[in-house]
Amino acid sequence: MKIRARGIVPGRASGTAIASPVSFSFVGGVDPANGSILEDATGIAGERLEGRVFAFPTGKGSTVGSYVLYGLQKRGHGPAAIVNRRTDAVVAVGATLAGIPVVDRVDVGGLRTGDRIVVDANRGSVDLPDVKGKRVVTAILRNRGRILIVRRSKKVGAFQGRWSAISGHIEGREDPKHRAIVEVREETGLRGIVFRSAGDPVLARDGATMYIVHPFLFDAPSRRVRLDWENVEHRWIRPEELARFKTVPRLPDVVAAVLGPPA
Amino acid sequence: MRLTRAQRHLLDEGTDAQRKAMEILLTVGRLADAPRLVPITSAHVSGASYKMIGDPGLEFLEDFARDARVSVPTTVNPLGTDLAQWRELGVPAAFAEKQGRIARAYETMGVRPTFSCTPYLVGVRPAFGEHAAWAESNAVVFANSVLGARTNREGGPAALAAAIVGATPEYGLHTDEGREPTVIVKVRARPRGIDYSLIGLVAGERVGDGLPYFRGFRGTEGDLKWLGAALASSGACGMFHLEGVTPEAREARVKGLKSITITPKDLIAAKRAHTDGTEADLIGLGSPQLSAEELQAIARLIDRKPPRIPVWVFTSRVVRDANPDAVGIIERRGGRVLADTCLEVTLLEHRFSTVATPSGKGAYYLPSLCKQKVIFDDVETLLERYA
Repeated sequence: MKIRARGIVPGRASGTAIASPVSFSFVGGVDPANGSILEDATGIAGERLEGRVFAFPTGKGSTVGSYVLYGLQKRGHGPAAIVNRRTDAVVAVGATLAGIPVVDRVDVGGLRTGDRIVVDANRGSVDLPDVKGKRVVTAILRNRGRILIVRRSKKVGAFQGRWSAISGHIEGREDPKHRAIVEVREETGLRGIVFRSAGDPVLARDGATMYIVHPFLFDAPSRRVRLDWENVEHRWIRPEELARFKTVPRLPDVVAAVLGPPA
Repeated sequence: MRLTRAQRHLLDEGTDAQRKAMEILLTVGRLADAPRLVPITSAHVSGASYKMIGDPGLEFLEDFARDARVSVPTTVNPLGTDLAQWRELGVPAAFAEKQGRIARAYETMGVRPTFSCTPYLVGVRPAFGEHAAWAESNAVVFANSVLGARTNREGGPAALAAAIVGATPEYGLHTDEGREPTVIVKVRARPRGIDYSLIGLVAGERVGDGLPYFRGFRGTEGDLKWLGAALASSGACGMFHLEGVTPEAREARVKGLKSITITPKDLIAAKRAHTDGTEADLIGLGSPQLSAEELQAIARLIDRKPPRIPVWVFTSRVVRDANPDAVGIIERRGGRVLADTCLEVTLLEHRFSTVATPSGKGAYYLPSLCKQKVIFDDVETLLERYA
């Protein structure tokens, strides 16, 4: 599968990924002598950067990080490429000094340590040749501060019995927002919903499948829901209650993409 | 980003350093969605203290200095120690040696060895409306707010890249739009002494990366230096307006802006919040480095009340050399006048544990950068207390 990205530092490189779910500082986060990760919170401590595609949400910490990245690359211990959600100036400048390709605007939460990745910062893309991408929409319906979740039936293709929001596959080149509106009508019977916002795509990983989730927020005029065959149960919950439900992968992140992080 | 033919030429056929400098500017411009590079009349680079940039920074600068040459007048931030007095300060020889190499690398690149955080006090004062590329947050705030020049808060390597190319990405504080205030800050106090630092610290905390429009007080250029330095420490601000004082305040759009108020109570609370020490073993004056007037005033104070604990006075080499009388008085009374370096980027942690200072910027950074406890008060009060 190939996803769009924003090229920050030009170049093209490939390698296996090492992915940190938390933001990263090149000062203290890595051994400048050999490029092995020191920071435990990354979950990849002990791994080496050399030749790998390093994915982390964003940079943090001292501006000296730029020089550390330069020194690592000079000794041949730097990463082959960097993938971020949002590249900060310290990483961007350091990677420029070092000549390491960087892209951002990628939801790195969908990348796994060990994935084969091709980063093309010239064209602005990230390719995962071993992963199959499926584009889906998720519609968050809101009514007086509560959002709708539904439990998936045994007849659906994936994630049976899990809690989800209204969702569906995008077919061909159709407009994701249009697909979201159609799914809401089919699965809830609700009419007169009002579009509020669209969030950046969330990458929800399920083994060799990547769901590229396009999140949308709609206000619903009522809470009278009529389910179809795809779901067996529904609830209107406060967004912060979501943590108590066994959901499809990354539903809380999809909700946060349109509502902001939980209070 | 649109490039001129000359800029395109640097990128394609320049020296290694020129190409790298262009790449840095393109990266920074891409992050900020800047449409083009704007020519600058001066640059000021940060990242010169060995204590701050360590071996990784030294290595980069020495590599870069092989063929990097600046193309506009460029000054550089303070070092980690005074190049002439490091032995007397107890600085390890290895530290001083590496610090000297950093200084030489910058000089090789054609950077003026000012080693000062106050370029605006050592003869670099861009005119109203001129574009510049300055790192060092207090200098950025001063240039934008007091002089009406235009610079973003550059990082060290980006400012160096701009110095080599002679241009910087046009966004943020280079544009009219980016210089409009985002919040009104009413100050219900008649500030004197450290109150300017306190106003800066409180406002920076509340405004974050916004652009404050202050109202309700006045101040000299010297007062605004302390306010701006504190503002840029606790906040990510690169500029402020002060009604009736700063040159762009009159044209600023304030209609409909949110307004916050700073009261004397807020200032007292901030002073308390930045005081965690009980007994000081050093009085540190500077951060930013002192002007000639400030140095002379300190000399008069110290002459009347010689201190019983060490007093380190930080100024630029230019100001130190031009004021031998003030320096003489301070040193006869047991103080030290240090140049090339400044309070929180110098090596203190090997000798001291609690610093008394009237600098808001110093009070903000000393705990993290120098592992010091702080007593934050007016210089008169401190010299009285430790007489």
